[in-house]
Amino acid sequence: MDYLVNVAIVISIQAIAACGLNVIVGYAGQISLGHAAFFGIGAYASAMLTTKAGLTFWGALPLVLLIAAILGFLLGLPSLRVKEDFLAITTIGINFIVEAVFLYTPFFGKALGIGGIPRIYVFGQRLNNQMLLGLCLFFLALTLLICWRFTRTWAGLSCFAVRENETAASSMGISPVRAKLSAFVIGTVFAGLAGALYAHYVRFISAGDFGFPVSISMMSMVVLGGMGTLWGPLLGAVILGILPEVFRPLIDYRMFLYSLLLLLMIRFQPGGLLGEHSFVRTAFRGLTGKEKGGVAGV
Amino acid sequence: MSPVSDVILSVKNLSVHFGGLKAVDDVSFEMSRGEILGLIGPNGAGKTTCFNAISGVYNPTLGDVVLDGRRTNGTPPHGMAALGVGRTFQIVHPFTGLSVRDNVIVPLGGARYRGNFLRSFGSWRDKKIAAEAEKILDTVGLLDQADRKAGLLPIGNLRRLEIARALALRPRLLLLDESFSGLRHAEIAQIEALVRGIRAGGVAVLLIEHNMKVAMTLSDRVVVLDHGRKLAEGLPDDVSSNPDVIEAYLGKGESGRVA
Amino acid sequence: MQLLFEQLLNGLAIGSIYALITLGLALVYGILGILHVAHAGVYAVGAYVGLWLYSLSGTLLLAIPGSMIVCAALGVAIERFVYFPLLKYPPYVPLISSIALFLGLEEVCRIVAGPDLLTFPAHLPFPSFTVGGVFVSSTLTAVYSVTAIVLVFLWFVTTKTEFGLAMRAASQDMEVASSLGVDSQRVVDATFVIGSAIAALAGILVGIYYNQVYPTMGAMPAYKTLALIVVGGMGSAPGAVLASILLGLGETLLIGFANIPMPRDALAFIAMIVVLMWKPTGLLGRK
Repeated sequence: MDYLVNVAIVISIQAIAACGLNVIVGYAGQISLGHAAFFGIGAYASAMLTTKAGLTFWGALPLVLLIAAILGFLLGLPSLRVKEDFLAITTIGINFIVEAVFLYTPFFGKALGIGGIPRIYVFGQRLNNQMLLGLCLFFLALTLLICWRFTRTWAGLSCFAVRENETAASSMGISPVRAKLSAFVIGTVFAGLAGALYAHYVRFISAGDFGFPVSISMMSMVVLGGMGTLWGPLLGAVILGILPEVFRPLIDYRMFLYSLLLLLMIRFQPGGLLGEHSFVRTAFRGLTGKEKGGVAGV
Repeated sequence: MSPVSDVILSVKNLSVHFGGLKAVDDVSFEMSRGEILGLIGPNGAGKTTCFNAISGVYNPTLGDVVLDGRRTNGTPPHGMAALGVGRTFQIVHPFTGLSVRDNVIVPLGGARYRGNFLRSFGSWRDKKIAAEAEKILDTVGLLDQADRKAGLLPIGNLRRLEIARALALRPRLLLLDESFSGLRHAEIAQIEALVRGIRAGGVAVLLIEHNMKVAMTLSDRVVVLDHGRKLAEGLPDDVSSNPDVIEAYLGKGESGRVA
Repeated sequence: MQLLFEQLLNGLAIGSIYALITLGLALVYGILGILHVAHAGVYAVGAYVGLWLYSLSGTLLLAIPGSMIVCAALGVAIERFVYFPLLKYPPYVPLISSIALFLGLEEVCRIVAGPDLLTFPAHLPFPSFTVGGVFVSSTLTAVYSVTAIVLVFLWFVTTKTEFGLAMRAASQDMEVASSLGVDSQRVVDATFVIGSAIAALAGILVGIYYNQVYPTMGAMPAYKTLALIVVGGMGSAPGAVLASILLGLGETLLIGFANIPMPRDALAFIAMIVVLMWKPTGLLGRK
């Protein structure tokens, strides 16, 4: 039971980060391969503020989100001015540099990382794992709600427009940089939130937890579930979270099966499981006989 | 000539160079409110480059673009849209994944994207806004297609959609880049009527057109470009009998297309 | 002074190896516009196949061409079965497929050859000599010579042959080139053949240079070379070579010699960000 709770906590934390990535990649069409950097920034920020500055999780959280937003803005601004292919590479670069900063700065504990991160208290009650799962699910629900709401805002619409056609969007009064940046900052804030939860769940973090492979696995969740869909990242996180447990007897082939799955998915179903023309959606349509209108993939 | 206050657009000694290539070279002309000006010329004459300089895609290498008395060099495309310059593209640029209605709602949000930060987080799924979009779709004759994905429309309807989106900006100046190409005869007549209607509302229309019959019947005046330079300017009838213009077209093997 | 000179020689060797790997990436980006991350997987496979053939035959004369052929075939297979069908999608689709493919190739190496570090005890038949008290090993001369030969070969092929002309035409505009009678499929195939064969060569050289071959040897090159093609100018092969050699020298001098406490592997990305801010088209990039 406790084992299942732990798996569920990890899945819900990753789902929050994946939803954030989906705002950047799915809604605004900007490829980011460095999302783990912002996941790490959230985790380290919360860890430092609680262990060194003596704040509680709740006292630190607003600051953590603010730090994630500011760093997302500062790192996003130069990256989003360059061409699409450059963005993929600069975000990889951001990931490596941020990881190196954690690994090489004494302030961040270098290779030892940061330990002794306190547990989360709610109303004076120390959360056990079941309660922590409840809290994570609460934040996940909040994340999904905000993402859904974002698709209905003008800021969200400007992101869709930029994703669909940047030239046309800018001829209609939308500043592409501003639209991309708003998506980027929202995405990094969710990554920061997920990072903070992660830090207080594992209670010991080190730079390796936020390396480039983590970014790839977050991207895999979004791709697998369906970029630009509301539920896709969650579905992707659940599948990729459960697979290793199912594949446990095949632990040696796990990474291979992962990459094979990702390759087959993107090769034959680039829209993901919940994407526009996916077999899942087609089957679902056949069942309900309904066609949903509205913005693509929402 | 019209009085100065009536001038909506003045292009002064405009040059756009790409490395050594002078795509547009020292071109000047003016437009008045409610005027339809045709910009014509053989392929590669610099018409679209000229459009792009006016709509902010390119910054002029030399010269000025003055909109309503205000110099706009260096203003990005979204800034020009905000100043009331709507445009269409020769190669259509629909938001393929969005419905036709949502395509028109995008430019309706103009002020909200630029306004204060919080306003941009208001909802666009609003009956009043949908109704506004549908009114515009009605004027271009696309109302029955409102719920379709824009990517599924045939070219004629995509050209209408481009015009509808530009109109949603409530422009003072409308730039139409070959909005008639690829259309059938019946459609051409409809769009011609549409453009005249837009002009009647006081909007100045600058159009690039390959179809000489359309350009000459629709335009109040025409400007002819060739090799990036202005070759002639004047009333359609005068221009089409201008020997330099005929030479430019014949030289390009376009004989018989000058009406 | 002597140490500096030694470091310079090492830096040049590392830069040469980066250049050999980055070349393939720059060629592929130039022609298809795809960030071919899996290229580093091909490079690792090249090292393994080379080692395997060497241990079977005992001679590099068989191991090197054999590995180059295997990798050329692998490169073309990747292009035909993965990239070509994905060209119609936005660029992130082939990019993600390439990353997945790279991780898959790494895993295949690990599963087939085991996770352990293998040695590559081959001797390269190149001369060693001493200049001004500095010993230049035969491995160093081998790396320099092979790189120089590859660069001259590529320069000759791309500038002096009809095929090179077709290649440059296709990288300018594939459709226009096709309409002018260039067999673009053949040009793309050949690009992957050349790039992948060079990657195999690089893999074997690195294996011998460090005397080690391991499954994740492609990991750092995979992402570092991306930064290098940005620094060099997307799709510019001479730019990629220049950036690679500068990086090799920079890494060795700044970190090895000047002892700046900075992660060696982050330098490429820092350089990339600096270059992007100063000259967004890269060192030798065209607009």
